[in-house]
Amino acid sequence: MILETKNLTKLFGLRKAVDGLNLEIPDGSVYGFLGPNGSGKSTTIRMMTALISPDEGEVFIQGKSVQKLGNKALSSVGALIERADFHKHLSGKTNLEMLARMDGTNMSRVQTVLDRTGLGNRGKDKVKTYSQGMKQRLGIAQALLSNPKLLILDEPTNGLDPQGMKEVRDLVRELASEGITIFISSHLLDEVQKICSHVAMISKGELKTAGPIEDLLKDSDLLMTEIHVNPLATAIELLSNQDWIHRCEENNGILSVGVSHDKISDLVQLLVQNDLQVSAVIPRTSLEDVFLSKVGKENQI
Amino acid sequence: MLGLIHNELLVIAGRWRSYIGFIGISILMPLILWGFSVGGEELHRDYARELGGTFMVVGSILNSFLATYIIMNTLWIHIPFLVTLAAGDSVAADGANGIFRITLTRSVSRFKILVSKLMASYIYTALLLIFCAFWSLGIGSIVLGTGDLIVIDNGILILDESQAWVRMAFSFLLAILVMCMVATLCFMFSTMVNNAVGPIIGTIFLIIIGYMIMSIPLEIFEKIEPYVFVKYFNVWWDAFKDPIPWGEIGKKLGVLGAYSVACFGIATYVFLKKDIKT
Repeated sequence: MILETKNLTKLFGLRKAVDGLNLEIPDGSVYGFLGPNGSGKSTTIRMMTALISPDEGEVFIQGKSVQKLGNKALSSVGALIERADFHKHLSGKTNLEMLARMDGTNMSRVQTVLDRTGLGNRGKDKVKTYSQGMKQRLGIAQALLSNPKLLILDEPTNGLDPQGMKEVRDLVRELASEGITIFISSHLLDEVQKICSHVAMISKGELKTAGPIEDLLKDSDLLMTEIHVNPLATAIELLSNQDWIHRCEENNGILSVGVSHDKISDLVQLLVQNDLQVSAVIPRTSLEDVFLSKVGKENQI
Repeated sequence: MLGLIHNELLVIAGRWRSYIGFIGISILMPLILWGFSVGGEELHRDYARELGGTFMVVGSILNSFLATYIIMNTLWIHIPFLVTLAAGDSVAADGANGIFRITLTRSVSRFKILVSKLMASYIYTALLLIFCAFWSLGIGSIVLGTGDLIVIDNGILILDESQAWVRMAFSFLLAILVMCMVATLCFMFSTMVNNAVGPIIGTIFLIIIGYMIMSIPLEIFEKIEPYVFVKYFNVWWDAFKDPIPWGEIGKKLGVLGAYSVACFGIATYVFLKKDIKT
């Protein structure tokens, strides 16, 4: 494991922001970290990167304890925590050169990471002239500066337009294909599903589920199933009264039903027995469905 | 460490606020020097009257040395404010601007970062006072000329030109050390908050309180006085005494040094324990 947390706990006053969190991030994975606002994602990431001290527990990066070794344990880590903030009155290049000087990183890496993140031509401009998307790309550039083995990204697409989000997503995919382990927190479940191999979900500081996305989707006790049925209104009325149906909603003339895997045949049988015409049954479990089943509807992202 | 200090100096140099002190000095000094050159006769008469019974004054007493000596006396309250402009920003601004989310996640210890910030503040402080000296002694020498320095303080001390240069340099060196203590105090406050204004106000407030304690003739304040750091700010004055009171200078610098170490110790404790939530 490249990154591990053991019984990680943080209190803010009497409130437990993170409660005994145990995570194991395998080498080479793209690990999504999901949770609603205030669930403890950012606090966890800040403990991983030595910005916040835990009250209990430890973070291990390549077996080195961040709490015992401090910033020395972060030698193989690149991090972008929330919004990318730099010295606005200095150029992007100067900001990166300063960071390279801190780490003892070769200065030639500065232009490399600027080119890599599409800022090669704007490096000499002051950061205050950058758009939010460019600042975020500069944030990723600084995280890549010291050739990290592990990249920790906290909400890297926040504040970006769809094009900017796609660029970041593509870059993450590209980096992952080069073997860099990526730990990424995001509000966007769809985005996480598109780029991650593993996922962990937390709520109110507690881990709800974790593992490879494929396994989570397969093992989910809830399955979102699309049903093409006629008449739709009768079907909704019928299914809404069944306590084994978790969700039942209409979406553009198609019925979406939340039902556990072993109940799909019962569902079809019920519809047919009530003289409803069923023309298609399509299982479509998404990460959002898994999230809702594990974390609960009241905590929707 | 040199790389980190280099970084901090780049940040200070890039902030317009850092130039307020230099701009202020550049406006104030020519004005004062002009005042001396225009109203010098009056000052010369006052000094000659004081010396009249003992000495025969040939030529003008007023020169760049005397002007600098007088300027240092008058600017003493204001220079600390200029010094705090960089030290106050040093840690607090990085916290407020979210820079720590990037710098403190790198494989460099917080202690090293803190020391580099303090060193950069010291360098800024030294440059500010050297700039002051450049104006009062450098430009002052062109405008007012040089000559003997006459110091009237518990007696009369006349220093010839070569001695005056040495004493002035020594005096400015002591002034730099005093102001470094002020910078450390402000720096300590800077680690505790996330805005630059708080440390500046805190530091100036403590200096004003110190001067008040020293100026109010109450027995309770007289007992506290030895522990008030402001009391030792006048160490630069000792450079113009004859013989130079090395013991006294050592004691005063020792007290200011102890205050600086204490302030830096607190700053280190606070900064190493600080959770970066911004």
